[in-house]
Amino acid sequence: MANETFGSPMLGRIWTKTIRDHRRGLLWWSVALVATAFMYAGFYPSIRENTEVLTDYIETLPEFLKNTFLSESGDFTSPAGYLNTELFSFFAPLLLLIYAIGAGARATAGEEERRTLDILLATPTPRRRAVLEKFGALVIGTALLAAALWVSIAALGPPFELTPDLTNLAAAVVSCVLLAVSMGALALAVGASTGRRTLAAGVTGGVAALSYVLDVLAPSVESLRWLQTVSVFHYYAGNEPLTNGLDPLHVLVLVGVSAALLVAALVGFERRDLAA
Amino acid sequence: MGQTFGEMGDVIGVERLTKRYGRARGVEDLTFSVAPGEVFGYLGPNGAGKTTTIRTLLDFIRPTSGRASVLGLDSHLDSVKIHGRVGYLPGEFGLYDHLSGAEYLTYLGSLRGGLEEPRVRSLAERFQLDLSVRISSLSHGNRQKLGLVQAFMHRPELLILDEPTQGLDPLMQHEFYALLTEVRGEGRTVFLSSHVMPEVERVCDRVAIIREGCLVTVEDIGDLRAKEVRMLEVHLADGAPHDGLEHVPGVREVASAGDVVRITVVGPMDAVIKKLATREVIDLVSHEPSLEDIFLTFYGSDDGE
Repeated sequence: MANETFGSPMLGRIWTKTIRDHRRGLLWWSVALVATAFMYAGFYPSIRENTEVLTDYIETLPEFLKNTFLSESGDFTSPAGYLNTELFSFFAPLLLLIYAIGAGARATAGEEERRTLDILLATPTPRRRAVLEKFGALVIGTALLAAALWVSIAALGPPFELTPDLTNLAAAVVSCVLLAVSMGALALAVGASTGRRTLAAGVTGGVAALSYVLDVLAPSVESLRWLQTVSVFHYYAGNEPLTNGLDPLHVLVLVGVSAALLVAALVGFERRDLAA
Repeated sequence: MGQTFGEMGDVIGVERLTKRYGRARGVEDLTFSVAPGEVFGYLGPNGAGKTTTIRTLLDFIRPTSGRASVLGLDSHLDSVKIHGRVGYLPGEFGLYDHLSGAEYLTYLGSLRGGLEEPRVRSLAERFQLDLSVRISSLSHGNRQKLGLVQAFMHRPELLILDEPTQGLDPLMQHEFYALLTEVRGEGRTVFLSSHVMPEVERVCDRVAIIREGCLVTVEDIGDLRAKEVRMLEVHLADGAPHDGLEHVPGVREVASAGDVVRITVVGPMDAVIKKLATREVIDLVSHEPSLEDIFLTFYGSDDGE
């Protein structure tokens, strides 16, 4: 019994261990993001050359599809417009959402279902601290992915003349993080309150999908336009961060949603009988 | 039981504790206490409510009514303080499969404010547990050993162990019993659950017996032995007439089949053995009492399950 190694620094606390547990996943997600950025950058020159054809085509699309993919200015050939249309309207938030929802659902419910929670909480760790640290790990993980996305666009864009304003690009990825974290917090809250990982992921996935659909469809029906304001996606993309930077109010709404859901997770977890 | 609650110095005090679940059985109106330095057995069949009681003591589940104190602290309000001073082995538990044993213990040790490496190494050596191996490739027995190591490693004042010997081979069980003797020698208190009487008899000072969520009795092991019902199977050389055996003190019932006499004995065996010594005995088997036999002792008849 010679080679036991005690004392890895990443195993010192719940949040560091959680990130350590995710390290392989984070690496692969990052690779996927880099590949995605590369692919979109690679397409950019041909989009730019065919602006007129595409504009004509888009004019024939129904209203809601335009809402889905186009910024309000209708510009999709400038670097910001292109990234907004192609990457940030759907794919980038999707990837970050999947990661954050998974991390939120696993946070306590995963440990509970795998029966590792009893021994963890038998240490002098308050339940609320376990939830807070798991949430912290979720935020950091999501931020790392967003950083990978920013770096890959900033580095891979220029060779293809895809040169968005880097500050606004940062605003866009930050907005993406805020969106993903809010849904991660929902998954955390459902998981902490029920102990069921699949339920947490499923409910949250449903809410996120509904939110997306509302944000896309509501504007095309005048009487339902207000519904857009209950969609988290509205606060993610409504201000078009790639063009306009962050809207403080929208940031506040997303942060507020996350905070409220985190409190729900803390309360739900604190009050419950944990499964054996 | 008549104990007053929260008596000064009780390590565990359970008062009128009731836990009801929707349909599953919980526990009903439990009252007992555990004194410092005791090895206290909590005996009952699977599903009797042992795990429910234990997880209430640790505040993983909250009682429907009643309360519990651990180390003089309220099991709910002071649960974090309690956890710092208790070592706990759950009845069923998962481990982080992607970690090695050493990494797992590092993590738990950090959460407890530091790992006492020499202590961990010596515990692992005693149980012949290789801590460098990934948990995913550990056998069931080795997982159980790792569970034991994490419960004992920080030298807690109180050990709460839910079925600690399950999955351990006899040699390791023996090692575990030796460890229990040591920690008792150091003045620590042990609360352990079991569904096998001989184990409890072997290691415990006192035992609470629980059945279908209710406390049957709390007894000193010596008193329990005096009431214990056991069955002797005696193979006699000269056929099986059992003249006079039923009049021997302690004998409750005698039945013979062929050369074999089955004798049900309550309490000490001495008188029966001396009576049998006048005969030519080919073989003698004493059956360990099953839990149902124990319940028989306290209820007179088996009204269960």
